[in-house]
Amino acid sequence: MELIGLLNYAVFMAIFIGIYSLLALGLNIQWGFSGLFNAGIAGFFAVGAYTSALLTAPESSVHLGGFQLPVVAGWIGAMIAAGLIAWPIGKVCLRFRSDYLAIATIGVAEIIRLVVKSEGWMTGGARGVNKIPRPFGDLTYLYSQLAYLALVVAIVFVVYLAIERQISAPWGRMMRGIRDNEDAATAMGKDIKARRLEAFIFGAAVMGLGGALFAHFNRSITPEAIDPMIATFLIWIMLILGGSGNNRGALLGVAVVWIIWSASEFVTDQLPTEYAIKAKYMRVFIIGLLLQLVLRFRPEGILPEPQGTADRPEVKTLQNQESAAK
Amino acid sequence: MLKKIALAAGLFSATALASNAVQAEVKVGLLGGISGPIAAMAPPMLDSAQLAIQQVNEQGGILGGQTLEAVVGDSACNPQNGVDSATKLVNIEQVAGLIGPHCSGAVLAVANSVTVPAGITLITPSGTSPEITGLDDKGQVFRTVPSDDFQGRSLARTLLDLGTKKVAVAYLNNDYGSGLANAFKVEFEANGGELAGYSAHEEGKASYRSNLAELSRGGADTLVIFDYGDGTGLTILRQALENGFFTNFVGGDGMKSDAIIRELGADNLTTFIASSPVGEKSNSLEIFNEAYKAVGGNPDAIFVSNSYDAAFLMALALEKAGGDSSKVSAAMSAVSDGQGEAVLPGEWTKAVELIAAGKDIDYKGASGDLNFDNAGDVPGSYGLFKVEGDAFALQQALN
Amino acid sequence: MPFMEFVNFYLMPGIVLGSIYALGAVGITLVFGILRFAHLAHGDLATLGAFAALGVVTIFGVSPWVALPAAMVFCAFMAIGIDKLFYDYLSERPKIIVVMSSLGIALMLRAIVQVVWGVDTETYTRGIVRPDDYWGIRIRDREIYTIIAMFVIVGVLWAFLQKTKWGKAMRAMSDNPDLALLSGVDNRKITMLTWGIVGMLCAASGFFLGINTELKPLMGWTMLLPMFAAAILGGVGRVEGAVIGGLIVGIAEETSVLFIPGEYKAAMAFAILLLILLVRPTGLLKGKVL
Repeated sequence: MELIGLLNYAVFMAIFIGIYSLLALGLNIQWGFSGLFNAGIAGFFAVGAYTSALLTAPESSVHLGGFQLPVVAGWIGAMIAAGLIAWPIGKVCLRFRSDYLAIATIGVAEIIRLVVKSEGWMTGGARGVNKIPRPFGDLTYLYSQLAYLALVVAIVFVVYLAIERQISAPWGRMMRGIRDNEDAATAMGKDIKARRLEAFIFGAAVMGLGGALFAHFNRSITPEAIDPMIATFLIWIMLILGGSGNNRGALLGVAVVWIIWSASEFVTDQLPTEYAIKAKYMRVFIIGLLLQLVLRFRPEGILPEPQGTADRPEVKTLQNQESAAK
Repeated sequence: MLKKIALAAGLFSATALASNAVQAEVKVGLLGGISGPIAAMAPPMLDSAQLAIQQVNEQGGILGGQTLEAVVGDSACNPQNGVDSATKLVNIEQVAGLIGPHCSGAVLAVANSVTVPAGITLITPSGTSPEITGLDDKGQVFRTVPSDDFQGRSLARTLLDLGTKKVAVAYLNNDYGSGLANAFKVEFEANGGELAGYSAHEEGKASYRSNLAELSRGGADTLVIFDYGDGTGLTILRQALENGFFTNFVGGDGMKSDAIIRELGADNLTTFIASSPVGEKSNSLEIFNEAYKAVGGNPDAIFVSNSYDAAFLMALALEKAGGDSSKVSAAMSAVSDGQGEAVLPGEWTKAVELIAAGKDIDYKGASGDLNFDNAGDVPGSYGLFKVEGDAFALQQALN
Repeated sequence: MPFMEFVNFYLMPGIVLGSIYALGAVGITLVFGILRFAHLAHGDLATLGAFAALGVVTIFGVSPWVALPAAMVFCAFMAIGIDKLFYDYLSERPKIIVVMSSLGIALMLRAIVQVVWGVDTETYTRGIVRPDDYWGIRIRDREIYTIIAMFVIVGVLWAFLQKTKWGKAMRAMSDNPDLALLSGVDNRKITMLTWGIVGMLCAASGFFLGINTELKPLMGWTMLLPMFAAAILGGVGRVEGAVIGGLIVGIAEETSVLFIPGEYKAAMAFAILLLILLVRPTGLLKGKVL
């Protein structure tokens, strides 16, 4: 095996880990910090991917658009569109708690998927949107991949910093307060509904950005990419395994799960060729089994949410009480 | 945990290294939608591609006696897994060419972000989306299945010639179904036909009776189904037959499936015809059918002849390019451009000799003559098939 | 449109489909109510049941109806085994962990079906069955059996929950687990019993889907979302609610093509669900609010 090939594969994995990181970070805002059970990630992923694609793609007879805006405008548009879609959904659905919210968001995501597939005048239907510009796409294979990786890493870093900043700000403390004890937060006069809606929109916008990065990477987006298994449930597995409520945990979970997902194919490829097809089913089995093992032996995630640190509201109040007692 | 994963990852790459060190074979990637929505279609397609590779190896091997090996990858019919698997095949397995993926969305993503940048030639046996034609692919993307346009249009004209002026169309809402249905609709209406019903459906539902009732209200007695015969298409055909909606049934190549005969019974299918690709001036299809039956395959499975042709063409192109993956795309056009001595399915030794002698060859595939145009597309040549005994038999050619 | 046409081609298929959804939704609502988590492996367990029945049919050459009880027993043990091997260890953890675990189980079950039975589309009996005519209502015998079987199975379950000691214990667990535990209900036995019943219901819903159409490895997974919609529609933890929810979702899907394009059929279940949740968050029958 050539080293350059290995490098190419590593770079590709890193790009995908970066893209999925955005989805996981978005979910972490909603679930990890705010306790919102959003099981419709695929919907926001799709809205982001298609918005950016339509804004930047050249004119085509099969779908809306031909705006040919710069890629950056597409990405900003993706975040805005995903946030805008999240607003009415959140308005309606956030009054449901936990599992109800999950099924409602799954439903919304399915409806978005059907709209994308069926409203061909807008999205190109089953043909999808093609010829989407890819930044640094003109370079040779390795350099183009490296450049895109640098871009993805930069974006993930910025988003990570933004979330960390927001989470350690009073807003973040309030969110966790609402998540952990809603009644107390209400009693303190917090507008829970509005805060939840903010978190939902914020998370959805980050997911939309992830979708946009995916579409530009492949220069195309088709409805096949919005499959709930690969665009919703996989991200949940990543976040839960990594440690929800902890952004670094989320990033680590994405890396671990994607490496398992991708590299498991090498294991099953060791089977003799007459089992080459069955080996792929076994691969799915192995992925399921590994998930069981990690959940069983590391159920709080690889990097759990830090407990008892100074920026935790209940700790602070405790400390305050103690100092007041003195 | 991290250490364990690092260890496991190390083991993966170590075994991959070891297995690569001892092999001096020529590798091609065989990328299919093994898991996921078209799981039932993928295995026969991969088997027929493996048949082509087996024939190459039995007849002296490739590039002066080397073994041709197919590394199987799983695209799961979505771009995410497709790109992931293609990256592994191209970079880790270092394949010289890629046969697949099966689904259009995966073909577009793989071509754009893996094979074209890496300079690897890709040939898909079943990506039917018209978007594949317009790919900015430096001539490196081919397909052995015609764009939906060809089949939809010729089927429409043939039905009108047969005197069927009024039909209803039910199509699967994906690239395959909607592409065929659109082309069919345009051509059928332009030539004086009447569409008494035209509706898409989602896959995986348990009942389509209300869809069928809705379609039949237009008063047509012929139903055209653009779907897969081992999936939703089977359910639709069954429920239409059981409930007496429509009397005649016409399918695209996806409906020419052994599953339909096996599950519904040949005697229920006397009014069912399906279009499917055939070679124009050769008996390539018969040759392939015999060879595929001999290895235990069923030639009536969907897209198997396209898949066989894709693999055989890839082998021919590799041989002609002398194993240089950057020359495969030019060689691919050259071995099937309608000029030169004809090579039929399985005639590997003959082809190798002709190539060694520096002569031009022209592959006549089981799924048509496959003369590539500039975009790597092939014009379709189709026949109408009816059920005879327990198999499909050619009724007439489509125009 | 003539009334009989509506009954034959829209209403009856909807009721049959609804019966299949109902069987699955009852299982989901039991897991939701008693064990308090969303069981995402439900559809794939149904697939396994359907294929287990196929295995019995092909090995012993018996009628599929004989294979049904065998498949139900098999799935009951499978469900109990899965719980003992996997879910049981996670019972003290946040529920989201168990939900993720059930997703992994779904993948594993699907892989097992694909390895053991292959990926081809299968049927219990070859050929087609044309419907019989009963005073203008056209219905196939297996559709009548499907509807009857659904009511019998749910009826037996309902009687079990109402009349027997164990059934009452299950309801107590569902209503107030702390109180139930205090009054001496054996949590472990109840969990086992629940999984046994859920396994049987899964097998039955998979079997009836298979006998009315075909068997495919993804058949259960594609049914999962409508079944969840039906369970929540009826009110979580309410067996009768799940039946009503299943029938409503089934009928709504089949009649939806009268109003909206066919490709949006799958969206119907969710549209109804969202609507119901908005006006009545507890579901049609007063269910638990989780």
